[in-house]
Amino acid sequence: MKSLRLENICKSYENVRALDHVSLRIDAEEFVVVMGPSGCGKTTLVLTILGALKPDGGHIFVDGEIIDDLPIEARGIGYVPQDFGLFPHLSVRENISFGLRVKNAPRDIIDQTVDKMLSFVDLKQLADRRPSELSGGERQRVALARALATNPSILLLDEPLSSIDEATKADVRVRLKAILKEAKATTVCVIHTPEDAFALGDRIAVMNQGRIVQVDTPSELLRNPKDSMVKKLIATMYV
Amino acid sequence: MRSKLSLAIGVGAVAFIIYMLVASFYIYFIAVVSWENVAPRFLSSRVLGALFIGVSASFIVGILSLVVGVPFAYFLTYRDFRFKSTLETLMVDLPQTFPPVTVGLVYLLLLGPGSPANIAFTYFAVIVAKFYVSSPFMVGFAARRFREVKAKGLDLIARSLGADVKHLLFWIIIPLSKRDLLAGFSLTWARAMGELGATMVFAGIIPWRTEVIPTLVYSVSQTEPYTAVAAAIVAETLSIMALLSLRRGVKERQ
Repeated sequence: MKSLRLENICKSYENVRALDHVSLRIDAEEFVVVMGPSGCGKTTLVLTILGALKPDGGHIFVDGEIIDDLPIEARGIGYVPQDFGLFPHLSVRENISFGLRVKNAPRDIIDQTVDKMLSFVDLKQLADRRPSELSGGERQRVALARALATNPSILLLDEPLSSIDEATKADVRVRLKAILKEAKATTVCVIHTPEDAFALGDRIAVMNQGRIVQVDTPSELLRNPKDSMVKKLIATMYV
Repeated sequence: MRSKLSLAIGVGAVAFIIYMLVASFYIYFIAVVSWENVAPRFLSSRVLGALFIGVSASFIVGILSLVVGVPFAYFLTYRDFRFKSTLETLMVDLPQTFPPVTVGLVYLLLLGPGSPANIAFTYFAVIVAKFYVSSPFMVGFAARRFREVKAKGLDLIARSLGADVKHLLFWIIIPLSKRDLLAGFSLTWARAMGELGATMVFAGIIPWRTEVIPTLVYSVSQTEPYTAVAAAIVAETLSIMALLSLRRGVKERQ
């Protein structure tokens, strides 16, 4: 896995500034959560890193190299959207092998990698099922396995816990963190609930109105919130 | 006051239903009461000839619509450019409202006698005339479904996994749109089967050469009414079958 650096990224939609000079550095294998209220620019940031949106200004570096002009398919960035985006007509195994098949990987490599990923996310027994036959947590693990199977340099997760029901959320959260730690994935994860953000992130970048207002470890954020919005978000955890 | 309005709505609805159903199914009633005269006409060489030309030309139109319409629907879905909605209106909506006889006239002037590529009054003319009128149905169905797939963000995920246009189209979009494309094919085929104006003007009504069921019905309705009824029954039954397959396809996806 590689490091990611965002330098003064700006993005506007007509008169609304969605990203306002966003700069952020994420070390290799680090898990950074981008947290903030709805509409603060989190998803725009993820889609800009992915390459689905072209920034109005600024640069994106992966391991020190600019990737601004690379199309999505050449960036080597894994992406798991809010609803996990599994291909509904493909089985779990076919979903996970998709990225390897489009890259024309040899058959034995595909089989080995898929078996490894299925064991990794503990879904071997569900390999032949369709996404519609899986629970929310299982779908999430398939999406992670699919993204990780191609060995991406960076992994982007957009609200990975929002489709998970409250009863299983704590378990899914622990499992998600364990999988990503074991995969040594450099991860940018967008989350709007402080509880999830503090439980998952090595560091948390708090966003408000298109700007990053504070980036710190969870304990430092709790100890020393530097912005009224950060204080407010933290306060909601104790309500 | 309210009950009078309800009554008026009810009467209007019933009158509309009768009007539509009579037009749709009266021909079956005529066929049943005149069965002895109509039945032999089903196998008359002229009806069979028109049926073969109509079915085969409409099938070719359906295939061509798939071959051309799917890439065009992809283009409309994934490319953003100025005047895109105007282009879509011109390519999808206008041909469905344009008077077909005018289309026939345009092709007659463009590809008829006097043109270096004179194909007027040939089997190709039947295909060309039907294609203009029918292919927008395929583009419309395909574009609608492709936009649904795009709205789910599956294209972004596929591309993040390394997929190019070929993979996106053949591994994701088309497999997820199979039923809609089949429904689009059915509707395109049914529309092509029923097309009269453009075919009549550009391809003419030459039995066993360019005559199709609608032009046969038109040309013999005064002189050989039983042949016209037999041909109309064939055309309408095929349309109903195409519509049922379309409904089934859409329902299964839901």
